[in-house]
Amino acid sequence: MPDSPFQIGGIAVKKREKGRWVGYAFVLPAVIYMLVFIGYPIIYNWVISFQDATAYTLKDAGRAFIGLTNYQTIFADPTFARSIQHTFIYTIGCLIIQFTLGFALAMFFSKKFTLAKPIRGLVVISWMLPVTVTALVFKFMFSQDSGIINTILMNLHIIDEPVGWLLSGGTAMAVLIIANSWVGIPFNMLLLTTGLNNIPLDVYEAASIDGATKKQQFFMITVPLLKPTIMSTLVLGFVLTFKVFDLVYVMTGGGPVDSTEVLSTYSYKLSFQQFQFGQGAAAACVLFVCLFIVALIYLRTISKSEVD
Amino acid sequence: MKKRLVAIMMVMSMTALTLAGCGGGDSASTDDTAAAEEGSEESSADADGKITISFWHYMSTDKEGKFVQEAVDEFNESQDEIYVEAQYLPREELMKQYTIGVVSGELPDVGMVDNPDHNSYAAMGVFEDITDLYEESGDTNFLEGSISSCYYDDKLYGLPWGNNCLGLFYNKQMLDEAGVEVPTTWSELEAACEALTKDGTYGLAISAINNEEGTFQFMPWLLSAGGSVDDLSSAESKEAMSYIKGLVDSGYVSSECVNWTQADAEKQFASGKAAMMINGPWQFSGLAEDAPDLEYAVAQVPKADNGDYASCLGGENIGICTGANVEASWEFISWIMSKDKSAEICKSIGRLSPRSDVDTESLYADEPNWKVFAEIMPNAQSRGPSPSWPELSAAIYNAQQQVITGAKDVDAAMDEAATTIAGLENK
Repeated sequence: MPDSPFQIGGIAVKKREKGRWVGYAFVLPAVIYMLVFIGYPIIYNWVISFQDATAYTLKDAGRAFIGLTNYQTIFADPTFARSIQHTFIYTIGCLIIQFTLGFALAMFFSKKFTLAKPIRGLVVISWMLPVTVTALVFKFMFSQDSGIINTILMNLHIIDEPVGWLLSGGTAMAVLIIANSWVGIPFNMLLLTTGLNNIPLDVYEAASIDGATKKQQFFMITVPLLKPTIMSTLVLGFVLTFKVFDLVYVMTGGGPVDSTEVLSTYSYKLSFQQFQFGQGAAAACVLFVCLFIVALIYLRTISKSEVD
Repeated sequence: MKKRLVAIMMVMSMTALTLAGCGGGDSASTDDTAAAEEGSEESSADADGKITISFWHYMSTDKEGKFVQEAVDEFNESQDEIYVEAQYLPREELMKQYTIGVVSGELPDVGMVDNPDHNSYAAMGVFEDITDLYEESGDTNFLEGSISSCYYDDKLYGLPWGNNCLGLFYNKQMLDEAGVEVPTTWSELEAACEALTKDGTYGLAISAINNEEGTFQFMPWLLSAGGSVDDLSSAESKEAMSYIKGLVDSGYVSSECVNWTQADAEKQFASGKAAMMINGPWQFSGLAEDAPDLEYAVAQVPKADNGDYASCLGGENIGICTGANVEASWEFISWIMSKDKSAEICKSIGRLSPRSDVDTESLYADEPNWKVFAEIMPNAQSRGPSPSWPELSAAIYNAQQQVITGAKDVDAAMDEAATTIAGLENK
């Protein structure tokens, strides 16, 4: 997936002399769209993160610039540090689970057995459900008094009394990770399946004639040939997970206390519940910077592997 | 070089997803937003020469909302100059739309707001100053406690729409079976809970969620103990918090209350999983629907053993939004808040009229549960008014959550909340 823009770029280079302006004309609507609907909000967000934007000043045209005060305020707030920590725990936890299981499922469904396709289709349903629905379902399932998880575990005598899954920080975070992985696994599976299908079968044939074991085939052929797909899956997964909002907001609202507060919910609360728009924007900018760094690392690895 | 350009573009677009995500909020509400945007078009005269007024409220369409719509329809038919278009948005979404609307200019003509938040939105510039219109109208019969939440900087930014307050709902059958009298004090409540808590049934359901509802529900305990929002580190305030903590620790109240909204508490009570609950009159219609056979009654929230009954005033206000057609909007809100209309609507949506000239006693003569709320109301204390109420409230519900979940002890949590609140007031 990620290499396609580069291929298009390559073709464009060859044909540059002929249709340079036509080419630019084709991308122009997209560029304008991005500048207006993506570029402007980002810049606006950066601007108010340096301004004294609160309930009192929101409407004023010339809000005072207050330098880094908003950033100082949020960095001094222990909840902010915790929400960064939570965001990383959540993201890395989700990535590990959804990538490993997604990869395993992708390998499994690439075997051409009967019903492979319909079952794969069914697995994807969890990804297509609105996140709010998923969040509510998991909230009910993990409820202390009437949740099905507690009922099952009690009947299996694994636990003696109902566990308040969403009532203490550690377990609440674990439940969030499980819920998100349920959505993320099919997403990872889909991307990796596409990659797997692009690996020509004769490579495997040649390898098995040379006496390579299945394990060797996996690590020497599948993984290296799949590397661009793996990279883009991980980065896309990271971006999508890191900016989580709806799932956390619906399931725990960042609670109990602030034990599942992530950057996006922290920013939302500052802006839309406490009307500290400047500070909310500052938190969103921190989120932006984190993702920007990840995206840069990704591009660096991609362009390196292209040179190879 | 070319590649680098493409690369930078990609990075930009990928990271942009994050901000789009922040702004988008929950995907479930997209439809509402789209609908809201349609409704927000500037009030304009249509083909018939009627002026169209948009009215945003958060009375959910399946319950209170239909009565709101009926009233709006009646207004539309009563005259042929103004056409009101009522639009439901979930509360959180509506609040977000106001904030966005201040910057983008896309506000409705008339909007509803939760009364403790009214000050903040008035300060933000969401609502028009209607002091003159109100004073000239000659109809100023509103309860002091209710209309005071519409004032900011001595100017009036709206009218009270409906009032509510909290009481103790109890399941008659369960209390009879356990041989328990209706508790009136904290110790009686504890004793009652002890007798009523059984396998699968909790004595009491409350909401201690981390939003305004959690604060609202904590207020009766706080006020009855003699504590106050301005002095959360006092012994009285701490006593109230310790009491709640005790109820949860003894297993009388489910520890899940930290994730329960008041609507969730109602579900517990309706399904018999709680013998009593703290809730308000807006739950009457829900209870009638969820548990038509449930026999319940209402009493005052039990008072501290050496304190008085206390309750917290809740409710909504409506205001005319900035940039709206003020005359036409005033026409509508003064009609819907007139004596007879207010009494009628409030009764059907489970509110008490905020008007001082509505005779609640005769209106609710045949409804004992309503009468209890009508008796509680005059003493119910309002929250704020203060433009920093949202932050103040966050300090309170956070403390409550910390204490109930055991993250902090009562002293530490309340002292911290008191410090936060003192910091807000010095700003």
